[in-house]
Amino acid sequence: MPTLKVNGRRVIVDSDATLLDAARAAGVEVPTLCQFDGLEPWGGCRLCVVDMSQANWDDDWFKVVTACNHPVDEGMTVITDSDRIIETRRVVLDLLLARCPDTPLIQQWALEYGIEQTSYTPNPDPDDCILCGLCTRVCDHIGVSAISSINRGWGREIAPPFNQPPPDCIGCLACAEICPTDCIPFETSTVRRKIWGKEFEMLRDPKTGEAVITKEQAEHFAERSGVPMTYFETSDRSKRREMAKTFEKLQVVK
Amino acid sequence: MRIESCDQFEALRKQSLEIEANRKQQVLVCCGTGCLASGSKEVAEAFADEIAKRSIDATVDLFVKSTGCHGFCERGPLVVLNPQGILYTKVKPGRVEEIVEKTLVGGEVIPGLLYKDPVSGERVEQYGEVPFYRHQVRVAMRNIGRIDPTDILDAIAQGAYSGVAKALFEMSPHEVIGEVATSGQRGRGGAGFNTARKWQSCKDAPGERCYVLCNGDEGDPGAFKDRSIMEGDPHSVLEGMIIGAYAVQANEGWIYVRDEYPLAVVNLTIAIREARKYGLLGENIMGSGFDFDIKISRGGGAFVCGESSALMRSLEGKTGEPRAKYVHSTDKGLFDLPTVLNNVETWAGIGAIIERGGAWFASMGTERSKGTKAFSLVGKVKNTGLIELPMGTTLRHIIYDIGGGILKDRPFKAVQTGGPSGGCVPEELLDLPVDYEELTEAGSMMGSGGMIVMDDRTCMVDVSRFFLAFLEEESCGKCTPCREGLKQMLHVYGRIIAGKGQAGDLELIEKLAAGMQLGSLCELGKSAPNPVLSTLRYFRSEYEAHISDHACPAGVCRELTAFEIVEDGCDGCHLCYKACPVDAITGVVKELHVIDHEACISCGACLDVCPTDTIRTFPKHELEKAEVV
Amino acid sequence: MAETPCSDLSKAEEILGRYPQEEPALIQVLQDVHRAYNYLPCDVLERVAEALEVPLAKVFSVSTFYKAFSLEPQGDTIVKVCTGTACHIRGAGQLVEELERQLGVGPDETTEDFKFTVKTVNCVGACAMAPLVIVGEKYFGSAKPARVSKYLAEGGADEN
Repeated sequence: MPTLKVNGRRVIVDSDATLLDAARAAGVEVPTLCQFDGLEPWGGCRLCVVDMSQANWDDDWFKVVTACNHPVDEGMTVITDSDRIIETRRVVLDLLLARCPDTPLIQQWALEYGIEQTSYTPNPDPDDCILCGLCTRVCDHIGVSAISSINRGWGREIAPPFNQPPPDCIGCLACAEICPTDCIPFETSTVRRKIWGKEFEMLRDPKTGEAVITKEQAEHFAERSGVPMTYFETSDRSKRREMAKTFEKLQVVK
Repeated sequence: MRIESCDQFEALRKQSLEIEANRKQQVLVCCGTGCLASGSKEVAEAFADEIAKRSIDATVDLFVKSTGCHGFCERGPLVVLNPQGILYTKVKPGRVEEIVEKTLVGGEVIPGLLYKDPVSGERVEQYGEVPFYRHQVRVAMRNIGRIDPTDILDAIAQGAYSGVAKALFEMSPHEVIGEVATSGQRGRGGAGFNTARKWQSCKDAPGERCYVLCNGDEGDPGAFKDRSIMEGDPHSVLEGMIIGAYAVQANEGWIYVRDEYPLAVVNLTIAIREARKYGLLGENIMGSGFDFDIKISRGGGAFVCGESSALMRSLEGKTGEPRAKYVHSTDKGLFDLPTVLNNVETWAGIGAIIERGGAWFASMGTERSKGTKAFSLVGKVKNTGLIELPMGTTLRHIIYDIGGGILKDRPFKAVQTGGPSGGCVPEELLDLPVDYEELTEAGSMMGSGGMIVMDDRTCMVDVSRFFLAFLEEESCGKCTPCREGLKQMLHVYGRIIAGKGQAGDLELIEKLAAGMQLGSLCELGKSAPNPVLSTLRYFRSEYEAHISDHACPAGVCRELTAFEIVEDGCDGCHLCYKACPVDAITGVVKELHVIDHEACISCGACLDVCPTDTIRTFPKHELEKAEVV
Repeated sequence: MAETPCSDLSKAEEILGRYPQEEPALIQVLQDVHRAYNYLPCDVLERVAEALEVPLAKVFSVSTFYKAFSLEPQGDTIVKVCTGTACHIRGAGQLVEELERQLGVGPDETTEDFKFTVKTVNCVGACAMAPLVIVGEKYFGSAKPARVSKYLAEGGADEN
């Protein structure tokens, strides 16, 4: 269990912890955009940069690294608010504000770092996508990989194959839910769901008639887990009722 | 045909040497990409025709060999005659008959085909005496231009795979690493990491197996040494990789070749096939018990795949997105297993290091940069081409003594080294010895070895913009500072070059540069500001002229520059008229020509061809003032 | 993006037969497919995704990431102008402009009769022969705008 210092505060963390974990343990806030607990860290937004010095380095020799994915080490010194770190974060936010000038999340973060208007040339045709990759990463994590990033460089975008409704999408809405700027539109009702241009039929609970899940999502989960489809067709409310009835029976037996 | 012992290899080598020695006359025609572009294939065919016409025995009496790139591409097609040692330059197929008749049969030299020194005006007969070659010490490129790269026996005769025999039969893997450590060789791809240390790290890393890779994704525009090595002596690469694989006990390797080098892919494929045939690759190499095989992987057209972690992603069939550097490739590289990735030139040098010893290699070069380095000398220099020299040679020696000085004797302005990650070195630093650390301290970088010479007709603001535009197209787009930063830098540069630069633009550039250097995920983004910062360091006044005076001192930026034919100097040669792509010049032969400013697009084609140097550039805004008056 | 299927998958099947059916083979397969069809047809990409067991979205991502690939049919002859540093300072820009004047198309565009596609390449490694134009398989070194029509005639003829 390595010990390290974050902004002067001593913390002890697990050996497989990241600098972000260490900062949180020390009660120090480090801003992030592309990080999400439970997903592999990606290191793309660069907002979580911190200054780091290894135990065996000279005292004044630091390296700028991303906290979300850098592993901890015994005796490390981490500084999350040095001048150059603040300045680097400022540049990152200033650039994101230029790409997404109308996006509230970015406007808020930029304001926190003293930026009201971007110093750069604003995107003439902006949307809210900050290219954090969370949508594609969660889709990969679920084992579907229906959408991906296309092109490269500034023209990089998130899209389904051929910009057509993605054949592999199961309509689980994880991408829309995880998106920090809510820029993935979708429609959902008790009968139908639509996302990325693809339409889904909702499976309804046989007892209550509530919409539970899409057929494709149920099939995907059933296949992955080996649990029968009927489990996924039941709404949470029905599941709780079943559970309550089971406990009731137990009570009686006693 | 499989070689199953060291003795058998020796016997084959001696046999191949004898065949070479028995040839009475050899004609070596350079068929590297550069000379091919000048028509050398037709020259080789013309020699074949002569042989058929004269019914000469083509195996002994006149053997024509197509070799790889000699490096002196400017003077191609190049033909070397052995045993005479004569070099003929700019050989056209039509002159082949004369060469056979006069030189080969008659024993007479044809002066018009000899290299003419641009400074002394003298004709040089001997290949080894030509200044371009005389100063060179060829280690990685030792056999290029001497062997037919598609003939493995020719390569073996010249020493290929002797290093493999020595390593496999006389040394342990530990000793091999020791020898490379003694040589002090550092990676020749640009990062300059110590080769032996990299191999040792891989050897020490836990894993069920490991891999050796060759980075043939030479993406630096202006650098073509790796292309020449892969095309002209693929065996040197295979040999190095076999020795390296033996050192780290890898059984599989890949050579990643960029898509834009089709001939390199062809010649490497042939070399691998031949090596397998002779038991120099595959199972039980030379009967030593060591198994190792190599496959080729072609790039898809992405500069970022020259970055080691991106290259490995590409080999895995993915997009070339680099990975964070905290995990070293020697611990988790290709398929998350320990991997050694080295550059083409690095591998090419290994065979020589093992054969001649690490101490020999370390006897050349400087304290921190041992051995020799290949450079591609290009741009506004008289002798453009590929050279290999000991580290520590000065830039002045390279550009003037070997390069012959600046094209058209225009004033030298800067030499750009290190590609898009490097910087520009100005005149006052010409005596800098070429060495990893010296170049970095001067604000540039060794990089791949590309040296682009620039004259007074090069605008440093335009050069920086060029590199930024290059990198913007090549950025993978994963991280914010690089993806957004490059685009925004270009916006500012666009303003400056159009004469709309604002006060504060230079400070904005510097701030953004710092953010990119610290914040970017990989070296592409981190080093992207280098050309910007180095040109600001040494040529700040040029930027200020663009911003404050709306002028481009070099006369390059089109929106800021107008052209005029000076009355006194014009002799009516009519060349500018012919060169102008938009017919903006009027004039009759022998009379003064005039440029129509309305039609002129300021491309500079006229100035480039004017033999009397009478076309001058001036700030375009002066035209408006003139009109107002 | 309009879908441009090709309907003849036989060439694709033959190509797939040459490689192990796994993700690392993807880029090599796509290159062979591109060479065979002159672009990456969408139905072939679907077949490749299925054969190599790679999600279609990832195949699409790779197809759009690398410059070597076009998702749209290209001309019979590809005309490449090298825009590396050495070529840039020796006038590559003028060559691109001259091509546009003669063919009416810019980089990454194809002529209406599908005879030529113009592309810029970030260095072909023939820097000592800068600037360079490659028409089909033919390299033209020390290229001059005035000779562009000659290059097109010579290089284009070779393709047939």
